[in-house]
Amino acid sequence: MPELVMENIIKFSDFKSVLTLRQVSKDFLNFIDSLNDSTLPDSEFSRIDMIVNEDICLRYRDSNNIQNEFIYSQMDILRSFNGKITFLGSSSVIDVAIRDLELVLKFQKSNLRLLHFHLGPSFETFPVKLSNMFKKLNRKIKTENLSMKADSQSKIMPILPFVEPRTLERIDLLTLNDNMEIEINEIVKTEQWKNADKFNCDFNVSNFNIKDICHFSETLIQFLSVSAKEMDLLRKILIDSSKLSGIWLRLKNFNEHRELSNLWGPCFIGENSRLWYFRMKNSEEEIMEFELRRNSGNFTWRIKIIHIGGVPNGAAVHDYEEN
Amino acid sequence: MSSTEQGTSSAAPAEPTTAPESAAAPEVPESFYYVHGKDKVVHKVSAGALQHSALIHGMISNLGYTEEQAKANPFPFENIDGDILQMVVDWCNQHKGKPTPPEDTNLPKQKEKLFDLVLAVNYLEIKELLTYCCKQVAMMVKGKSPEEIREIWMIPTDAEDEAAEKEAKKRAGKEAAGETAAAAGDAK
Repeated sequence: MPELVMENIIKFSDFKSVLTLRQVSKDFLNFIDSLNDSTLPDSEFSRIDMIVNEDICLRYRDSNNIQNEFIYSQMDILRSFNGKITFLGSSSVIDVAIRDLELVLKFQKSNLRLLHFHLGPSFETFPVKLSNMFKKLNRKIKTENLSMKADSQSKIMPILPFVEPRTLERIDLLTLNDNMEIEINEIVKTEQWKNADKFNCDFNVSNFNIKDICHFSETLIQFLSVSAKEMDLLRKILIDSSKLSGIWLRLKNFNEHRELSNLWGPCFIGENSRLWYFRMKNSEEEIMEFELRRNSGNFTWRIKIIHIGGVPNGAAVHDYEEN
Repeated sequence: MSSTEQGTSSAAPAEPTTAPESAAAPEVPESFYYVHGKDKVVHKVSAGALQHSALIHGMISNLGYTEEQAKANPFPFENIDGDILQMVVDWCNQHKGKPTPPEDTNLPKQKEKLFDLVLAVNYLEIKELLTYCCKQVAMMVKGKSPEEIREIWMIPTDAEDEAAEKEAKKRAGKEAAGETAAAAGDAK
């Protein structure tokens, strides 16, 4: 078939058919791999997971919720896909897995709902090789949600910059190591951080400025401590916000109760928590609630918007003040 | 050239109709051209229908043939089977001056015919028909194994390909050796 015809046939084929066509002959494989991404059909996957443990697993789910899974075994040097086993001989298991991910991403044009990486302690070189593949791919991955579960900071930064910031809505950073702590100042500089709407992190962060989370509608973050002044700064910024859904700050310490009372006045003592209420800008009905709770030695600040009817009897509601 | 003319019922140039008083320009009579395939059967096709083919449209756009000249000089497409050219001509006539629909269900179901049509349409540069044909081939491939696709498209496996290449090289080597020996014999 002439090249133009082949290009057209591939354009109208689905992802699975193109993968099959690649297996027809070396010529087909070389031809398909030489095509521009724009010629390839959209695989329309809803999520892609890459799980690196003792083995590597590449999983993708299509728009009909059908899941496909590649397993790459380091011990047996093989790849299995839907029961079909390929022995990889002298090839590197990491290289084959990353090449397959590259192929999957080449076909992904529509937005993913979720891109998830689980990067365990095995395969130390995986993040760097992944980063090199993203550079080679030369386009950012469009996903609404990015989730990264890792055991060190060095595995997060090789991935984050390669996600399309304009598409990204939520970033989840999860730990595989109870003592993990990262310096977040590099991450907050990225366009991905600035454009995301939700952020969730289940381990300690340092080098953190409270102002950096003000653009999120939803945040869960944990760090050492926060001062009363910083909490007041947060209040001043959020009181004008129209999109706040909820903020959770998990702290090791909070020692500035007196300073906070000086700034915000006395709190309302609730069940296991201290509460303050502030009227939102341009609203009689919406109230911002700051709740400080102590749980097994740690402190949690929860900030959310509630209806005026939810303010407990006897609690003072501070009027809106221009900053 | 022994040929059978097959054309549309409106083969002759249309007589100019009397223009209504309000009309700005008189209607131009439609011109016709002639094409034939491997079977030499000549098809009369209007310039309007031929516009679908970028190749033929490019050929005729500056010709300015009279009806007689066009009839005397049909475009030969010796690489296209007669029945395939007939299909192409019919499609061009059916879609003359009309926007093409998103799907075309009247394409041949038989794979050999479809592949021949694809090649003809690609050669004649009929973009819309090529799109329909390629969509149909893509449908044909869907759900098939590499082995089944090889069978449908009559593609040898890499091993068969390599064996054939080796055989061809071997044969060429033998022939070259034979020629050298013959040349040496001649020289003696």
